[in-house]
Amino acid sequence: MALIIPVIFIFVFLFAVIKKVSVYDCFTEGISEAVKFTVSLLPCLAAIFMMCALFEASGLSDMLTDFLSPAFGFLGIPKELTKLVLIKPFSGSGSLAYLNEIISTYGADSYIARCACVCFGSSETVFYISAVYFAGLKVKKLAMPIICVLTATLISTVAACLICRIL
Amino acid sequence: MNVIFTVVFIASMITIAVVSPDKLLSSLLGGAESSVKMALTLFCIYAVWMGLSKLAEKSGLSKYIARGLKPVTKRIFRTDDETANEQLAMNISCNLLGLGGAATPYAVKAVEELDKQSNDFAQKLLFVINATSIQILPTTVIALRAGAGSLSPSDIFLPSLICTAISTLTAVGLYLIGRKIWR
Repeated sequence: MALIIPVIFIFVFLFAVIKKVSVYDCFTEGISEAVKFTVSLLPCLAAIFMMCALFEASGLSDMLTDFLSPAFGFLGIPKELTKLVLIKPFSGSGSLAYLNEIISTYGADSYIARCACVCFGSSETVFYISAVYFAGLKVKKLAMPIICVLTATLISTVAACLICRIL
Repeated sequence: MNVIFTVVFIASMITIAVVSPDKLLSSLLGGAESSVKMALTLFCIYAVWMGLSKLAEKSGLSKYIARGLKPVTKRIFRTDDETANEQLAMNISCNLLGLGGAATPYAVKAVEELDKQSNDFAQKLLFVINATSIQILPTTVIALRAGAGSLSPSDIFLPSLICTAISTLTAVGLYLIGRKIWR
């Protein structure tokens, strides 16, 4: 499976050469688009990260974690995972750091770690994606799609904890 | 997003003002700092993938892929537009391959393209699909577990696949139902 990425890169480059595309110019053009794209993301990123930092520093995130742990436990989600499940929709890097912590604390093959991995791998940074996709557009009524996604993520998290017990 | 942002922001500010007022400014600055770090990381990812995808685009490779997937994308997203279909097809293929970094720029372009046709349905559907993760191989997680000395790092493959399928199908289902109810 490690070969997938090299194969894709080599294939695309060779294909471009065969089609007589000027590879360097084209590659650079793509990167200059990446520059514009990243810069256009920066305002959203800054605002969301400030909100997350504030939420964390105020202790509200810990309170929410404590508050929701029993409810999550009722659904079969171990309390060690509550924070991961709560962070993931907001921050990919934050939840990745937390996942790392879980893996090193409980061991890579433990139930908690496997569960955490499955939850992490089968969910996305919902709020970040919604900010990035719709930045600068006048798309309204995003609440409904976001609620659908969050509900589905919760359901799949419950399923993950169940499936990891069996498989 | 507006509502959530405002509510969380104000609630956090009030709590922090009561608990430790000196931390307010420093945590805001800290947040801004980590957003710049994040932007740098993202830029690296996008530079690689958008460079590559430009090659695929200019050489006509993405057109071939799009043509192959057109029957699917056309049906799902209800759009006839050539450019939008190409971006959608590339987004879906990158997602399935687990190349999240490559998928995002395509999705953003697709959303902009769909905006021109005011295809609200497809925009939000694309968001729902992307926000529930549709990757087949969770490469990051497998690499992490392998690094932590797991005996069989890829044994989470099947559970992940099942959960991804569950979340995407549920979300799309809810979205279709929600659209019917709220219109």
